[in-house]
Amino acid sequence: MAVPRAERVTKWLIAGPPLAFLLAFFLLPSLIMALASLRYPGEFGGLAPLAARPGEESGLTLENYALFFGDWVYAQIFAKSLVIAALTTFACLVLAYPLALLIARSPKKRRDFMVLLVILPFASNFLVRVYAWMIILGPMDLLFTRFAVIVGMVYVHLPFMILPLYTNLEKHDPTLLDAAQDLGANAWHTFWRVTFPLSLPGVFSGSALVFIPVLGMFAIPELLGGKDDWMVGNMIKEAFLGTRDWPFGSMLSLMLTLAVLAIAGAAALFARRGAPNE
Amino acid sequence: MDALRALRGLAFAALLAGGGAQAQQDRLHVYNWNNYITEDTAERFEQTCRCRLVQDYYADNEEMLAKLAAGASGYDILVPTGDAVATLIRQGALRPLDRARLPNLANLKPEFLKLWFDPANRYSVPYAYSVTLLGYNEQKMRELGIPTDTWAAIFEPKYLERLRGKVTVLDSQRELMAAALIYLGFAAYDTDAAHWKQARELILRAKPYWAAFNAASYIKELTVGNIWLAHGYSNDMHTARQDALKAGRKFTIGYSTPKEGAVFAVDNLVMHKSGRRPDLAYRFMNFLLEPESSAALSNAIGAGSPNAAAMRLIRPEIAENRAIFPGPEQLAKMQQLHELTRAERRLLNRMWIEIKVR
Repeated sequence: MAVPRAERVTKWLIAGPPLAFLLAFFLLPSLIMALASLRYPGEFGGLAPLAARPGEESGLTLENYALFFGDWVYAQIFAKSLVIAALTTFACLVLAYPLALLIARSPKKRRDFMVLLVILPFASNFLVRVYAWMIILGPMDLLFTRFAVIVGMVYVHLPFMILPLYTNLEKHDPTLLDAAQDLGANAWHTFWRVTFPLSLPGVFSGSALVFIPVLGMFAIPELLGGKDDWMVGNMIKEAFLGTRDWPFGSMLSLMLTLAVLAIAGAAALFARRGAPNE
Repeated sequence: MDALRALRGLAFAALLAGGGAQAQQDRLHVYNWNNYITEDTAERFEQTCRCRLVQDYYADNEEMLAKLAAGASGYDILVPTGDAVATLIRQGALRPLDRARLPNLANLKPEFLKLWFDPANRYSVPYAYSVTLLGYNEQKMRELGIPTDTWAAIFEPKYLERLRGKVTVLDSQRELMAAALIYLGFAAYDTDAAHWKQARELILRAKPYWAAFNAASYIKELTVGNIWLAHGYSNDMHTARQDALKAGRKFTIGYSTPKEGAVFAVDNLVMHKSGRRPDLAYRFMNFLLEPESSAALSNAIGAGSPNAAAMRLIRPEIAENRAIFPGPEQLAKMQQLHELTRAERRLLNRMWIEIKVR
């Protein structure tokens, strides 16, 4: 089954640029980070020399990883961040689904306008909008709480859940709903047995778009969070800006990337197994 | 449609012309704390030197050092605090100063010269200072009977019980540790690991009562009344007090230096070696050492001034405020932070993470 030459070229033309993008802006930086995580911090920040020098901390080391695995506090922050990201994703899903469904089932003319409304908040900087939440939550005595962090996270990331859900739901064939009804399914059954399973790809991509950035977020916990709401992102920021400890920060960033990849991989596997046979 | 295109062309031409004109103009690059040169002072300097003052901002010394370490360059002048000056000197990143080109050095108070980080003022001249202290809602403190002249207010559970969820402390490893160390009777710059552990225990004992570690919004939280007691900088507390007065709040914001002593941060003007215009940098430094420039900053943001000649130009309510201009006996108890080695930075960061998690 030889693929015609022209088709192969087209394939590469389409797949090439994104592949190059990923190589240049994901793989390469990750490798730099991996290398940095194996080095000693420089006296003034940055990295200690790579060439080993006697009597000085230089060359390659595993001490950053030893620090990470030798102490439970780091894992604890990772676990806490995972919980916050999971809660945020779930809340976004519950809030976004009905809205996405509503938009998808609206007359075609109104859909674009409604989608525009969904992305309208992007017109202002997200920090400004988070500050607005500080003003709203402050007098309610909810500022500086875990609840405030999740509210802020959900608010900022909601559109990232709505849009993929909407693009998926919009494509559903309405005759399937008629068929389900004709076969005696009530509204709930139609949703649960027809619409929802068909929308799973949208659910997964929306969840990924919310879960991953939330996991690395540091600004929202810093502004809205209380004394116990530090996340992985804050720990990484502190390593780079507060302590000038690049190797440690790189190690943490790499662990975060690995955690995200592991979770995404598991989700993809789960999604493939759960998907109806096509 | 044509009009639109013509307009766009015009805008583009203007952009080019503007860019060309600016390239010819002299520029002085300053990397500074936010809002640390008044607009008026900046304009006056631009007029006298016929050059443009270009400022970038940082929110703390570590951030500035981190960005310089990451390769930021081209800055003629930096405004680091003492411990960061020491780091920059050891890095060999600063240009030695020619004192003959800074005649206004004569305006400075002698107690602000020859400080530990640069004993001969070879690289730095003091610009302004702040004290890390306690700011509070005066009415609430009186109602609840909380003493405001001691670090005990943010560390002792017997007081914190009445303030649960109404206290913020600085989100800064160095500052919070220093406050705890001073309260325990150690020096702010102490690096003994056993003393650090005691400080960590003190912090962890008080933490359940605090609302947040906050460096970004305590001014606002104090002025709107969400927070009653905050650990922060004297100039920020000055701003909070002014804002609360202006907004006509039913309460007032006060601030005072704890009797145990406090961290005293002297910010200095230094010349970075990567700067391209030392000539303009000298003129600017000398300009900032003029009494008018220094007084303008104190009047605008409540910063302390090391400039003796500026004192008569500073509004009395600021010049006589002991939290901004400490008296001699208070000054004796002020302590400056010292630089940490990378091993000490790591140890402190490890403790900090534990403080944040537990």
